[in-house]
Amino acid sequence: MNNIEEQLWNYIDGTSSPEEQKAISLLIEQDEVYREKYKELLALNAGISAMELDEPSMAFKYNVMEAIRNEHAQAPLKARIDQRIIKGIGLFFVLTISAILIYALANIQWSAGVSGGTTLHFTIPHIAQYLTNPLMQGFLFFDVILALYTFDTYLRKKNLTKTYTSVQSGRQQK
Amino acid sequence: MQSKLSDTDLIEQTLAGDQSAYADLIKRHQRFVFTLAMRFAKSREDAEEIAQDCFIKAYRSLESFQRQSKFSTWLYTIVYTTAMATLRKKRIATDSIDDEETFIQVENKPSGYDENNVENKSRSFYLNQAIDQLLPDDATIITLFYKGEQSLEEIAQTMGIEANTVKVKLFRARQRLKDKLERNLKHEAKELI
Repeated sequence: MNNIEEQLWNYIDGTSSPEEQKAISLLIEQDEVYREKYKELLALNAGISAMELDEPSMAFKYNVMEAIRNEHAQAPLKARIDQRIIKGIGLFFVLTISAILIYALANIQWSAGVSGGTTLHFTIPHIAQYLTNPLMQGFLFFDVILALYTFDTYLRKKNLTKTYTSVQSGRQQK
Repeated sequence: MQSKLSDTDLIEQTLAGDQSAYADLIKRHQRFVFTLAMRFAKSREDAEEIAQDCFIKAYRSLESFQRQSKFSTWLYTIVYTTAMATLRKKRIATDSIDDEETFIQVENKPSGYDENNVENKSRSFYLNQAIDQLLPDDATIITLFYKGEQSLEEIAQTMGIEANTVKVKLFRARQRLKDKLERNLKHEAKELI
């Protein structure tokens, strides 16, 4: 029986060879068992084909797009924080600290210790004269910009997290 | 009148940054993806979660879609692997034919029958019920073959098996479906189908 069914399914699906198709077609015409089985399988085949697909909830598409939008909104924020800027800031501080250190070390009177003196004499640079320097003003301006940028990033992140949480909680309520 | 855009056109638009194109892709495939997810999940909520997860995964890896196969085949592969992974997580045995007897899905899902046609209603309802009682793999093969417009080769690609194996599995799945229908309806089965 299984063999008959297998042959008939192949015939219905059109997966058998042309010769087999012909032979089965003939058997259906002439053999009562084949004919009955064929009708039965054909009806089942039509029944499955006519089945409707399930429908997701109305909000399905919206939920997917919202999840994508949130993911999409978070990713560029991360991307916007360019690694080169971070490295640049790091380099700036390393260079500044190195310059101060080199300057300080260069101004130490090393001979004072060797000659038996108990006190080291450092020549403290007059910082006040640099404060009026345009370079110093530029540095301060850069710091202000950096602080504003960091604050803006923080606010955006906070806002996104808030939106994401509200969407998630809205979805859970549904 | 604007002609209907192909999946490939919508993918191109999505990759160019047009998110509404992806929304169109979702609209086009959501019913089938959801139906496929229902073959694995116990409830509509779980199926919706799986389906949603699949569309997000597909969006993330849309750039890697090679276009060597149909988008639907690629998408169904994601659905199949995601649903299988979810099943594994929930420790539901799916790979043994012996387990079929113990695998019961009792969820009564509303089927999309024609309300004006009682005969169609019954047929669709009982077929859905019988499919729900099949193993996920059997139900998936039947769904992919009949509703997903997938060839045996495409189903093989989706499920990661040989086309010949799909043919054998499809034959067995239909036999089991027929058995389930007969068992559920006893004498009414023949009249119904």
